[in-house]
Amino acid sequence: MATSLSVESAREELSAAAARGEGGRTALRRFSDCVDEFLERLFAEAPRAAVASLIVALGGYGRRQLCLHSDIDVLLLFDGQIEEAEEKRVRSILHPLWDARFSVGHQIRQMADFAELEIDNPEFLLALLDARAVAGDPTLLDRIARRVRSPAAHARILDALKRLIDERHARFNDTFYQLEPDVKDAPGALRDVWAARTIAAITDPAVIDRGASDRSRLDEAEEFLLRLRSILHVEHKRNNNVLSHENQEQAARLMRYAGAPRQQVERLMGDYFRHARAVSRSLEWVRQVAPVPVAANLVRSRDGIRFVDADYADAHPESWLQLFQTAIEANAAVTDGTLAWIQQRVERHRPEEFFPRPVNRAALLAFLRPRAGLYARLSEMHDCGLLGRMFPEFQAIFCRVVRDFYHKYTVDEHTLLTIRNLERLATRAVKGRERFSALVDDLAQPELLVLSLLFHDVGKWRDEDHVEESVRMALEMMRRLELPEESIALVEFLIRHHTRMSLVAFRRDTEDPEIVRQLADLVGIEERLKMLCLLTLVDVEAVNPDTLTPWREELLWRLYVDTYNHLTLEYADERIEHEESGLRALIAGRPADVTEPEIARFAEGLPRRYLQLFPSEEIYRHVRLSRDMHPDDLHADLKRKDSLWELTVATLDKPFLFSNICGALSSFGMDIARGHAMTNPNGLVLDVFQFTDQERFLELNASGKDQFLNVLGAVISGRTDVTERLRAREQSVLYRRRAGVTPTPPVIHADNQASRRYTILDLVADNALGLLHRVSRVISRHGCDVDLVLISTEGQKAIDVFHITKAGAKLTDAAIADLTADIHRTLEA
Amino acid sequence: MKLIKAIVRPNKVDDVKDALGRVSLPGMTVTEVRGHGKQKGHTAIYRGKEYDVSLLPKMEIEVVVPDNLVDDAVAAIITAARTGEIGDGRVFVIPVEQSYRIRTGERSDT
Repeated sequence: MATSLSVESAREELSAAAARGEGGRTALRRFSDCVDEFLERLFAEAPRAAVASLIVALGGYGRRQLCLHSDIDVLLLFDGQIEEAEEKRVRSILHPLWDARFSVGHQIRQMADFAELEIDNPEFLLALLDARAVAGDPTLLDRIARRVRSPAAHARILDALKRLIDERHARFNDTFYQLEPDVKDAPGALRDVWAARTIAAITDPAVIDRGASDRSRLDEAEEFLLRLRSILHVEHKRNNNVLSHENQEQAARLMRYAGAPRQQVERLMGDYFRHARAVSRSLEWVRQVAPVPVAANLVRSRDGIRFVDADYADAHPESWLQLFQTAIEANAAVTDGTLAWIQQRVERHRPEEFFPRPVNRAALLAFLRPRAGLYARLSEMHDCGLLGRMFPEFQAIFCRVVRDFYHKYTVDEHTLLTIRNLERLATRAVKGRERFSALVDDLAQPELLVLSLLFHDVGKWRDEDHVEESVRMALEMMRRLELPEESIALVEFLIRHHTRMSLVAFRRDTEDPEIVRQLADLVGIEERLKMLCLLTLVDVEAVNPDTLTPWREELLWRLYVDTYNHLTLEYADERIEHEESGLRALIAGRPADVTEPEIARFAEGLPRRYLQLFPSEEIYRHVRLSRDMHPDDLHADLKRKDSLWELTVATLDKPFLFSNICGALSSFGMDIARGHAMTNPNGLVLDVFQFTDQERFLELNASGKDQFLNVLGAVISGRTDVTERLRAREQSVLYRRRAGVTPTPPVIHADNQASRRYTILDLVADNALGLLHRVSRVISRHGCDVDLVLISTEGQKAIDVFHITKAGAKLTDAAIADLTADIHRTLEA
Repeated sequence: MKLIKAIVRPNKVDDVKDALGRVSLPGMTVTEVRGHGKQKGHTAIYRGKEYDVSLLPKMEIEVVVPDNLVDDAVAAIITAARTGEIGDGRVFVIPVEQSYRIRTGERSDT
């Protein structure tokens, strides 16, 4: 067969080159190319398969350094199921290879096998690094290679490679001074050359040249070792790479060393050890200094995080933020060199180029979450000009000096210090401020607080009315970033009122309930209050080191508590009225399918805070949900909201309703994080729950949403007993309380004064599956109506406020005592 | 020469300062303090838990005045700091034997 003949002649050619001492890279490449041609022909002649396929060369063959008796490592890839036709094709390729006396290391895979990259098989990933398409559809390999080039895969490969090197060296007692060395596996031999190159390739290609043995020195050693190896394959007539004493004489002669045989061997081995030393030093250097891949195009070296491919980074400014994000995650700095590199280039880019797509803008918000390292990285970004380029508004206050009695720093540094102070709260770095730290934990979008801090003083670039100017500039920035309207409204609110709470806390009579009520009216909901309180604290602290005294801290905290209590305990008395401005605005901006009377019928009589809790679009959605409501109807909607799920339920009130909804959620293992339950005077109930789906039931099951809503309907209508459903789950081993963990006793505080209409039960208890269901069930059993509920969590604590009545009136003291005792018994059972 | 020490509500400091300025007493020392008198503070509840707020934040204003201005100064402080509610604070008048200016070492009468 012609093909076999061409392989035979290629073998003879390589043997002849080896015998001349010239079996180095050039000869091996010719031999590899010949095998390529052989495989290409086999591939072309093999019976057709139904799906696209590819022969991939791996290992030494992939590197085009196939020695005479080396194994041919190939991967046969199929872009689909391997059926009979494909098996035939495999046989038509492999059998002639075996007939041609090749030792074949083969793997046969479907592309689907690579859907999840075998990160647990780093040796295979390592082999893929040298992969080369030989015959067939090369795009199959591109698809795999894209995955192998991920930082996660590179990190695993690096770990595995280091382990393999250590194990291999241990077999040789960790020394390259072997009298009869293995020119492939010994320390300082061929595998070490490839290892040094591989480490550099997946971390930083330039690292080799910075070591004692540069790239050309490594090439020279490789050429020498390959020539030796070729001789050994000819001599041994098999894949044996040990340079024995006998082989040394033969090799020295073939490689034309001068002198008597003994001198020839000494010169050969002298050269061998010289090369082995160079390789060993190079590998050691690369292992020591090679940076660790940490993200796409980013590595961590001893001096910090930097780009691998600066040209790529130069062309993609939208990847720059990831540099700082990664530095935070790795608890490292960005290298000085990289910061200088950015500084030289930053002026070339317009602000939009840093955040061109929604994913980049989402990454910015994620970056701004307060956590350890944020201040340091923002300071680096500011120093190298990047922050000012991303946000030209911020650049306006670069080194801005405002002369007054209080401020001790330039406006830009004051701003960054506010973020440092928030970071310290978030990381609990300041003793005695745990109560404020807990507020940070509570925030649903703490990144918006950081964004507000970043812009709260940008208006100080001019001398007057900095607040208005800061708001204007922040709005410009937020429109540019295309933030959602509710986020824009929140940041605008915080900036516009950023001095308000300090003014009230330190300059007004906070004992006056009217002052507190005014602040509560301004903030409207707890989330805004918490953010404003934190903003005030960190802003005051950043003015100068002495501004935030414990005394001021206490004043601020007390104002916060009084306002929080007003918002959560007294809000029920403040209802949406017929001609209310918020309601008028809602009606004026309504979409075509929503009528004025239905908005009024739905919203009038709900607590006024409802208008601040939800953006207009959500309210219109609630109105639609509440249409055509009949007894026993349940209109529900379930959707994903960031990391949480949100259930909205509209129905007509009935006993045990709230308890049953909570029970249905818990019976699916859902953990309710926050929520609101409201009832309007027509008996329409609107409950909104945000919860985590810990078991990923909704995500993993296509019919999960329908299944959940069906169960919810069955529970509400009484067809299913939710307590039974819950009991089974509560007994699950997954929810058993861990041994040795002492539960915190629940705290129940009843207040009959705060609200004119309601008795208020304030409950703080360890968060547990079914907690809300059990408590509200007890309340309903006592004949009470649950009209309003606020649900929140703080770490592992559930904090719930129930507004209840009995027969339309507040509870008597005796009824309260009975009820709270019963709740205690239930929770402690 | 007398030392007038006034414990007032924090939000009344600016009013007291202005009032003392109007009776030609511009210099004063202001200190953040905590305490209680008859008012005795109260217990606040936050998220179902009680916490003690018995020591209330107050401001202490100290001003040294010549004997002939004591009545005017006290009247100015009381007028400015008064709300009528419990917790408005107290004014103490204490005799001062001597006073020295640190910069020059001179003895002064005010």
